[in-house]
Amino acid sequence: MTELRPHFHDELAQLEGDLVLMGEQATAMIRDSVAALAAGDVAAAAEVIERDDPVDDLYLGVHSRWLETMALQTPVAIDLRLMSVILHVNSHLERIADLAVTVAKITQASNGLPHDPTMVSHLQEMGEIVASMVRAAMEAFAARDLTAALSLPEMDRPVNRLNRNMVREVARLAGDPELLEWGVRMMVVARTLERAGDNAVDVAEQLAFLLTGEFREFTDASHHD
Amino acid sequence: MGSRVAESKPVLRLDVRDVASVPMTVTIGERSEPAADHPAIFDVDGLNVHYGDFHAVKDVSLQIRKNEITALIGPSGCGKSTVLRCFNRMNDLIEIARVSGSIRYHGVDLYGSEVDPVQVRRHIGMVFQKPNPFPKSIYDNVAFGPKIAGFEGSMDDLVEEALTKAALWDEVKDKLDGSAYALSGGQQQRLCIARAIATSPDVVLMDEPASALDPIATLRIEDLMQGLKEDYSIVIVTHNMQQAARVSDRTAFFTVDMEQTGQRTGVLVEFDETSKIFTNPGETRTEDYITGRFG
Repeated sequence: MTELRPHFHDELAQLEGDLVLMGEQATAMIRDSVAALAAGDVAAAAEVIERDDPVDDLYLGVHSRWLETMALQTPVAIDLRLMSVILHVNSHLERIADLAVTVAKITQASNGLPHDPTMVSHLQEMGEIVASMVRAAMEAFAARDLTAALSLPEMDRPVNRLNRNMVREVARLAGDPELLEWGVRMMVVARTLERAGDNAVDVAEQLAFLLTGEFREFTDASHHD
Repeated sequence: MGSRVAESKPVLRLDVRDVASVPMTVTIGERSEPAADHPAIFDVDGLNVHYGDFHAVKDVSLQIRKNEITALIGPSGCGKSTVLRCFNRMNDLIEIARVSGSIRYHGVDLYGSEVDPVQVRRHIGMVFQKPNPFPKSIYDNVAFGPKIAGFEGSMDDLVEEALTKAALWDEVKDKLDGSAYALSGGQQQRLCIARAIATSPDVVLMDEPASALDPIATLRIEDLMQGLKEDYSIVIVTHNMQQAARVSDRTAFFTVDMEQTGQRTGVLVEFDETSKIFTNPGETRTEDYITGRFG
């Protein structure tokens, strides 16, 4: 096979490489933000917040080079689909990092409030699953593995279930105003992690589009299980 | 305008403006669907072209549809120009060329023994890579074909109409008696298009019509093609893939196969809607070529 556009295809590979880096950083931020929350570690939460700037720099760099590549290289076929996927995945990963920052900020805001160990363990479980979802989506992307991408909705189900149960768990805390305040904040954390999981599913949907040329949502948001 | 040209030798009996559609079948590209408003005008089945012992094109089957622009793309030597020249029997002019298989034009066998190639070329005009105006005035270049064909109406009106359709009228209306050679390359090519459509063809074949032009003149030709397809069906051969993507409705990708004998033969790899070819082609060979991984 003769490569007639090596510069262009090198640039595509570099853009994808930056996404892999962003995926690793976003995964770690989700994991560490939930760990800081569980430990009530305000300093660790601040460290997660600081790590958002490098992700934003990567995001802006990918976006800038994406525009340049589109204008100069006029990609077609699978290269065009990959460019579309890069633009979307870039946004999803940046968003996941932002959601980790939200969790970290709630940890800071909840400092000093009492907590419920059961709810914390549920949030830890959600965080572990979401982090593994982001990692799985990016590994599937790197390996061009459609089967692995299609497994993401299944991974997302317990996250959705845990998020829905959060309302009842918070209701249990209604007798203690301080605990209730903490519980309401944790409900936001659960919702935030659930959104991060959805972004991981979106990354997998993009991979399916790249490989098949047809875009379809894995799950219908208006008919959640 | 079709009735203006007197047919002195009406061997190919076609009023191409009134011919109903040839029955449509999906030949290649399973997403292609019959289009009632774009019936097939050429139905090519198992086309083979030899130049002496050289097998230039092998087993090509496709359909060209009315009022569409069909682009033929592929690497050098893939046979795309050879296929184009089959559509108006230009290969008849090459002594060693031999065409087999079937090309039905509005249901008529284009290579049937009763068909007059001269009549074929009156219905199916051609524009070449290099602008080739006659060494005559702008007016006479456009009027030449209709005169030969025995046109009896207002030649002034006909010349104006053809030049207007070719997007050249405003630039030359005050110098119609001037030499065609005084025009720029882009203007000369539009003059050649005006000359081609002056005889009211059904189809205009274009063989690399913009490859000798600068980028601005190229864009003018491409824009002109979009207007022309309202009245004509266009088949264009182009090396410029982005040009094919910009102008055409359907794209046929040809490549070169190595025969067991070591001979190189042109084959059709994929024929589908241009939007599909350039976003999600069905064949790996198409994808490799258009993304620059060809080798």
